[in-house]
Parts: sequence; structure tokens; C-alpha cells
Amino acid sequence: MNHSLLDASAEAERYIGGLDSRAGDWLAERRRSAVLGIQQLGLPDRRQERWRYSGIDGLLDGNFSADWESTDNPLPPLESVMPDGTQAGLLVFVDGSFQAELSFVNDTGIQFTSLRAAMAKGDRKVLAALGSLSGTGRHAFSAINLATMQDGAVISVSPGKSIDQPIELLHIATAAAGGRMLRPRHLITLDKGSQASIVERHLCLDADGYFNNVVSEILLQEDARLDHQRVQLEGSQAYHLSEVHVQLGARANYRAINAAVGARWSRTEINGGFLAAGANLDLEGLYLAGDGQLVDFHLDVVHGVSGCSSRSNFKGIVYGQGRAVFDGRILVERQAQQSDAHLTNANLMLSRGSEVDTKPQLEILADDVKCSHGTTVGQLDPQAVFYLRSRGLSPSQARRLLCLGFASEILEGFGNVSLRGQLADHIQRRVESIDLENV
Amino acid sequence: MLSIEGLRVEVEGKEILKGLDLEVNAGEVHAIMGPNGSGKSTLAHVLAGREGYQISGGKLRYLGLDLQELEIEERAHAGIFLAMQYPVELPGVNNMIFLREALNAIRRARGEPEIDALGFMKQVRDKARELNLDEKLLKRSVNAGFSGGEKKRNEVLQMAMLAPKLAILDETDSGLDIDALRIVADGVNLLRSPERALILVTHYQRLLDYIQPDRVHVLAAGRIVRSGGRELALELEEKGYGWLSEEAAA
Repeated sequence: MNHSLLDASAEAERYIGGLDSRAGDWLAERRRSAVLGIQQLGLPDRRQERWRYSGIDGLLDGNFSADWESTDNPLPPLESVMPDGTQAGLLVFVDGSFQAELSFVNDTGIQFTSLRAAMAKGDRKVLAALGSLSGTGRHAFSAINLATMQDGAVISVSPGKSIDQPIELLHIATAAAGGRMLRPRHLITLDKGSQASIVERHLCLDADGYFNNVVSEILLQEDARLDHQRVQLEGSQAYHLSEVHVQLGARANYRAINAAVGARWSRTEINGGFLAAGANLDLEGLYLAGDGQLVDFHLDVVHGVSGCSSRSNFKGIVYGQGRAVFDGRILVERQAQQSDAHLTNANLMLSRGSEVDTKPQLEILADDVKCSHGTTVGQLDPQAVFYLRSRGLSPSQARRLLCLGFASEILEGFGNVSLRGQLADHIQRRVESIDLENV
Repeated sequence: MLSIEGLRVEVEGKEILKGLDLEVNAGEVHAIMGPNGSGKSTLAHVLAGREGYQISGGKLRYLGLDLQELEIEERAHAGIFLAMQYPVELPGVNNMIFLREALNAIRRARGEPEIDALGFMKQVRDKARELNLDEKLLKRSVNAGFSGGEKKRNEVLQMAMLAPKLAILDETDSGLDIDALRIVADGVNLLRSPERALILVTHYQRLLDYIQPDRVHVLAAGRIVRSGGRELALELEEKGYGWLSEEAAA
């Protein structure tokens, strides 16, 4: 058995033991069974198809500890990272723990509790729902989250309610997170016919290496509609593993737009499934990987019922020695007739030293479906660069404009203006400052 | 302003320009005509600094500068502008943002203050109106999905905004119907001034009905084989290029 796994299990046991002694966690049994899952599922391995292109050596070398709470630490000043604009709710998580004094919810259509409070209270509905979409997971990291989840947002939107302003989940890693594993877990339910928009931001404030191991479970009931804007802007030494599990009821609509630009190593796994006909899943993404960075997206969309549609469109830019992995799997099961499933992935490589591994997989077992997939990997068009330079722009300015142009299709999908601006600035700054020698 | 002496240019080892001479002074409009494959577009691109052309001989002087020493964007900063035969489509690159960045890059390089957003907007709207260019196109991606005429008008709009000293128009008339041609020509005529020189590269005489050149040159087989006034263009219209190519070969 792998030594690190033993460590992880022992650590999870210690954490759960600590919770028992502090009392007030009704989940000890569930947590303990997840500890067994750590062993059973095992650590990801490059021999597994799902992990073929993404090594975890650095992650293991970091020895990020899960036996840890952040509640007693005084907070550093956070003004610089607080979001602009108006929100229906702002839920702030610092180093994985909910911060009530920085947070608010001001729409009566939203019910909110922190996961920690729900666990302490023994909120039955919440306890029953936890893990119902994710299961124990596919690998040890998911099980570690379930065994040692520290806190999270439990959000539900009342039937028929339409929440106009976004609900923001703001995650901030501070210096205190250095060397630690953060284990937030969110539970989001939109009741029948409700509508909401969630902005999920992962930022870093002066933190060195840390590992953000976050899981979200999202259930949309009939006719519900959720717009989920997710941005990973973790620190340059961070590891980020994000799992999203989403289930759609009849005629429900889920749209997630993802940006992964930060962290040294990041992986986003999106698992989508349909419960009844007429539902629509729309996944978009944008990633940027430079020197020493790996960005990885895995989609697992299962059409298990008939008459649903899914569309996945991801774009990425790699430069220097940066690496990107895109693995988009769409499964249309035999009974899922009249499915509509489309998958595209486009990559822009700015250097010879960069690498893209893209693997669109469409597995179609039904015969009456509309499905397509397409992948491209290209470079900046020399004609376009010449055109811009002939108008007075330097090669780096030309590259910046062309990269932004390439990204704009996805960027424009971020309805949240502050988020879109932050992302556009980040991308422009990075691609303009690339050392020409390495391009 | 521009002085070309004995210019020899190769593309992938094949000599395209074989000793070309040309003098262009400020305030003049020159037309370079010639059959397909004579090297007209090569000349236009070499002046703008496009990669892939090897200059194997001759001199290229512009305002006292050795053009070969200048990068593509440095030529733009020095006032050279190439209106392209096939303007590139740039999906996702906003036309206004592009044009403002280009203008400010040139102003910065010349030590002039950058133009602010408001001043820029007003100027670009005025120019677009003069060119009868739909304002909606300003908000779209550069040339993406533009018709042939819209692309060419967009080139002339850029030229008007960047106010070059030497503008080279490469087959700007190609693919234009008569109405579009007139609009483009009117836009170009507005830019004629004693400080500015224009080089019109064209296959057909009809552009010269709208933009009257001071000098007409015929380029054949990589050399200027004849130069003259406007009447030379009319002669070409009548006789075609065949007789000149034969002369050049002889």
C-alpha cells in the first residue's frame, strides 16, 4: 500500500477524532466510511486513462495536511480582494472556512447556512443530501474531502423564485493556508422553477504552496435555471482540485462558465447528468498555462435519459513550458434517444516548449441523436501578426490583442462585469509579458 | 520621400523584383500598374516590411532612413501604411480597440501624447461617416464577416486615422463595385496633401478615373519598364500589357 495513503487515512482519522472531542458534528460515521474510501479508491495514477497526462508528484511532495482548522487565526486585511458590484449574497470563505462577519444574504428567496453550522446542528436535510450526487468519489482526494470537509455553503433557492443579482462564493487563501489542504464542500439546490446566478471565485492573498480540494454538489429541480461563473485565480504555487457534480431535473438549465488561469497545478472535474427530458447543460471554459503550470479539465457528461442537450466549448492558451490537458467525455446511453451533444476544444500554442493533450470522447450508444465534436490546436496566424504590426503595434502588443481575441468568445460569456474585467486584465498582462525569446 | 534603387527581391529563392527604381516625392500620387505576377504586390509588401521576402540587392531609402533597418512597426511609426489587398480578419479583436491601440502606439513612438477615449471616438465616427462606413462595423471584430467593400473601406478608415506620410494601396480597387470604388476613392482623395505621398498598386485603369495620379509606372517581369503621366494608364487600357512585356523581354 502506498505510504501517502496511509498518512492520508491516519490524518483523516485524527481530524475526525478531533471533531468528536469538540462535539457537534453529526457526520462522524459518514466521515469514517469515507476514510475507508481513501484506501479503496486509491491515489490517482498515470496508468489510469483519466490521469494519463496529469502527474501528482508535486502534490504529494507538498505533504499538504488535512488535519487542520483555520477558525482561530486572525484574518489579514481582505479589502483588496473583495468583489465590486451588488450581490444577492456574498459568502466569504477564508482558507476554507466560512466567515459570517464578511458575508451576507439579502434575498428572501435564498436559504443559506454554512456547512459547519448545518453539521453542528444535525440538519437532517443537509446531512442526507451531502454526498448524494458525488458519492465517495473516483479517487482518494474526493474521499479525503468527504472524510474531512471543513465547511462550505449550503444554498437553496425557493420554488419559483428568480434571484436577479449573483450570489458570490468568494474563496480566499491566505498565508495561513501554506502547507495545508483546504477542504470546502458546497451544496446547492435550486427548487422547481427557480433561477439564480452563482459567481465562484478562488483567489489568493500572499499564500505559498497550499492545496485547495473543493467539491460542489448541485441539484436543479424541474425548470430551474442556474448560471454558474467560476474563476480559478489561485496563487502561483497552489494546487487546485475542483469537482463539480450537477444533476438536472426536467427542463432544467445549467450553464457553467469556467476560467482556470492561476495555480501551479489545477484540475477541474465536471460531472453532469440528467434526470428527465428537456434539460440542457452548457459548459464553457477558458484556460491559460505558462511556465511551470499545468491546467487540466475533465468533463463527464452522461446522457442517461432521452431528449436532453449538452454543449461543451473550451478554449485554452499555453506558452513557455506550460501544459494543458482537456479530456471531454460525453456518453449517450442506449435509451437516451433524441439527445443533442456537442463538444469543442480549441487551443492556441504560443511556444514550442508548451504542450496540449486534448481528448474529446463521444461514446454514443443510442441511434437517434445529434452529436458532434471538434478539436483544434494552432498557433498565432503570422498574417494577423503582420497586419497588426503594420499598424504600429509591437509583436507583444499584437500577441496580446490576438490572444484576447481568441479568448473573447468565452470571456464575453462572463455576465459578471467585474469578473470578466479581472480575467481579461490577467490574461492580457500575462501574454504581453511573455519573453519573446521563448515564443 | 521614397527612393528605391536597383531593388532585387527573392521569395523562396525565386527572384521577383529584378532591379527596380522608383522615386516618390511628398505630395505626389504614383500608380504602379502591371500584369499579374509582375511583382506589384511584392513591392507593396517589401515596403511594409513583411517577412518572407529576401532583399538581395539595391537600396530602399525613406525620409533619409534605410528601410531595411526598420522593423514592421517602426515603419508604421515612421509614417508608412499599407492598405492590403486582402485585409486579415481578426475574430474577437474589437475594431475600435484595435484602432485606438494602433493610433496610440504610433503617437507614443513619436513622443506625442496618447489620444483619450472620447477624442478618439469623435474622430473615428467622423471619419467613418465620411467613408460611409456603418458605425456598427466599428464595434465589431476587425474585418470579421465584413464584405469585400467593407474591408476596403475599413482599410481606408485606418489610413485616415493613422494619417501616414506614405500610403501604399495594394489593389484596393479589386472586388469593389462602382459605388464602393467611388466611396473608397473619395476617402483616398481626402487624404491627398502636399505632405503625403500615395502609391496606388493596381491592375486596372478604372481606379485612376477616380484618383488621378501624377505619375504612372508599368511594372513587368520585376522592373519598371515604362513611366509616364496619366495618359500612360489610358494607353494601357487600350492596348493591354502584352506589348510592354514583349518590349521588356526584348
